[in-house]
Amino acid sequence: MPFVGEILKHKSVSIVGLAKNAGKTECLNYIIKRLPLGWFNVAVTSIGIDGETTDQVTGTVKPEITVREGMFFATSEKHFRQKRPLSELYAVSDEDTALGRVVTAKALQEGKVLLSGPSGAAALKRWMRSLNDFGIDLILIDGALSRLSTASPAVSEAMVLSTGAAYSANIRELVGKTAFVVELIRLPLYVGPEPGIRVSSFSSLDAADLKGNRVIEVEGALTDRLLQKVRQGLGEEETELVVGDFTKVFCSQELYRAFVRRGGRISVRMKSELLAVCVNPVAPNGIVLDSDTLCRELSQRIGLPVYDIVKNDYEI
Amino acid sequence: MKFKEIVESPCGIRCLFDELGLQSGYARKVLLDREMMTDSGRIDAAYATLRRFFDLVVTDRRSVEDMRFRLQGLRDISGTLSSLAEGATLDEIEFFEIKHMALLAESLAMGTDLDAVIGILDPDGLRIGTFYLYDSYSVELRRLRAAVEQDPDDGGLQEQLAVEEDRLKKVISDKLRPYARGLLQTLREMAELDISLALAVQMNVEGLSIPTSGQETEITGMFHPGVRAALKAKGRDFQPVDFSFRRGVPATVIGANMGGKTVALKTLCMMQYLYQFGFALPAASAVMTPFDDIRFCIGDEQNEKTGLSSFAAEMQRIDQAVAAVEKGGRVLLLVDEPARTTNPVEGTALVAALLERLADRPNLALVMTTHYTVAHDGQCWRVRGLLPGTKGRTMDYRLVKTTSHEVPHEALNIARELGIDPRWIDLADTIMKRQYE
Repeated sequence: MPFVGEILKHKSVSIVGLAKNAGKTECLNYIIKRLPLGWFNVAVTSIGIDGETTDQVTGTVKPEITVREGMFFATSEKHFRQKRPLSELYAVSDEDTALGRVVTAKALQEGKVLLSGPSGAAALKRWMRSLNDFGIDLILIDGALSRLSTASPAVSEAMVLSTGAAYSANIRELVGKTAFVVELIRLPLYVGPEPGIRVSSFSSLDAADLKGNRVIEVEGALTDRLLQKVRQGLGEEETELVVGDFTKVFCSQELYRAFVRRGGRISVRMKSELLAVCVNPVAPNGIVLDSDTLCRELSQRIGLPVYDIVKNDYEI
Repeated sequence: MKFKEIVESPCGIRCLFDELGLQSGYARKVLLDREMMTDSGRIDAAYATLRRFFDLVVTDRRSVEDMRFRLQGLRDISGTLSSLAEGATLDEIEFFEIKHMALLAESLAMGTDLDAVIGILDPDGLRIGTFYLYDSYSVELRRLRAAVEQDPDDGGLQEQLAVEEDRLKKVISDKLRPYARGLLQTLREMAELDISLALAVQMNVEGLSIPTSGQETEITGMFHPGVRAALKAKGRDFQPVDFSFRRGVPATVIGANMGGKTVALKTLCMMQYLYQFGFALPAASAVMTPFDDIRFCIGDEQNEKTGLSSFAAEMQRIDQAVAAVEKGGRVLLLVDEPARTTNPVEGTALVAALLERLADRPNLALVMTTHYTVAHDGQCWRVRGLLPGTKGRTMDYRLVKTTSHEVPHEALNIARELGIDPRWIDLADTIMKRQYE
């Protein structure tokens, strides 16, 4: 039963997919199925659902999460009324979303739910705080790449990444793109004196202002434009950029690589722990990659075990 | 006039509203929807309530904080309760809301018939704030649930279960219905409790006071909370001001620039609103009297959309106020430096004429700040102004009654305090006196 033990060591874990149909929901269901619920209170929510039970882009059925007896879950009023096992209501939030208010309930029997919890990192954090009253040990967050902010260490302590053929249909490319995300997640924590200068991507930063600063604090997002400007002002050698966390890095792989190759460094103020990477070798358009090759190559590249949980269906 | 219509008033009442520590969004909604009072009896009753809560804040802070903590759970379920009253069948989420609200009211020792309501929604007597359609609601429900659990794929059983659940929702709704109006009332009272506690705490923290009602307005030690906070941030103190006025006797306030005339007028306007909504006042003590219509005309209201100049906008606003005075009813009219954007010759004429136009109106209390020297039969107040011997750095913002309606010539005084060439300043003084003669 890979990596579930790791999950239990944390208070909050995000499951993030790098693309739609990358196997995120299978991954979440895999985890839920294997949690030792008897002595452990778990709450699950999701972010970034757009209110349809069928994915409008690909026509595939939008997955449901199976909650187990005793688990807490958060979903919108609309989805709560639509589908759920017998559940005891614990809270109805004061905040309205497009699908109504957020309902927090405890499943009294196992069954399927459509998850559509608080949307946005701030609302999510408020919901997580509100759970304090119910004695929750672990919060699982079904995240979305478009809302990567939920995987921010400011929201959840640890994360599980799911990737697959839906992200890229070529094994080499898929491994390369996924490895880049993993590299960003593992950016080192900044250690050193307070940086002498702070820049933000919005400011009309003059490259000349950077002269004499080897360590630069980046407020907000690190974009290609900002990275270019820093390179113009300083070159790359021994320059260190400090960002809030990996979700704030938006620069392209090419530019990032060029920056690092010539001696530049990026470090973070807060770090998420990456617990595992799961793959789904099947893409919605029918392409199937070789699962073993994919797991092996990705694992070699990132130095972490990689799991195809559907194919291998690890023991419970 | 509702509170939400005056919350953005240029008098700055928003600064108190923003700092009011309401615990629930519902209380905020109720407060914004509150009607202004014009009857001193009702206002006094509101203050008697506020006084009680203030005493509680002072004597038993702990139970106040406990109540406020509980009130964080207050939700606006007036829609649910109204539809219940009108005959709707509710669902689990709505039952949960009602149970949650009833338990909250019970913990605050409010409301009536709560035992009955909670009993309906808590058939197992657990007294916890959660809800689902409990098995104990019917033998049939329990039987069907067990059967569905045995055979989850039997569509017929699921259908029967859904029918039984719907029947129970109707039964529970019917049982709750007689209490719907009472619950609405209790809900409203909880919002009022939230508001009263927030006002009482603010009164304590900000050092506000409860006024008495009388025939005239008489205020000692008034301050503008927003300006005071801004000064405090700069390490400076707000100098409290005394002021009085009454209907039938117009009052003008004159004084140097930066002398606090506009701030005083804003504070008067804010005090009047606060009084008529039953909130504590930023003053050491006050006698207040209610008005039917409060008009605050302050400059700099250039309306870019309609292309009106600041002069035109101001003239129209005062014109509407004059019409309101003509209509009757008790009117408080506060005007800040009318016609200041035009030339002094016409400006002085306009101000003098406005005072004459509005003279001898027993229904009108008029307070006007001005830069122009205009004589009238009412009261004239003057900012004390520069403190001598301080090199122009310190101002005495207090207002004093004066018989001279001539605006003080502080510019020359300031120049003298600064030690500017005395022959030059004396000459300016001579020229000025010659002009006035």
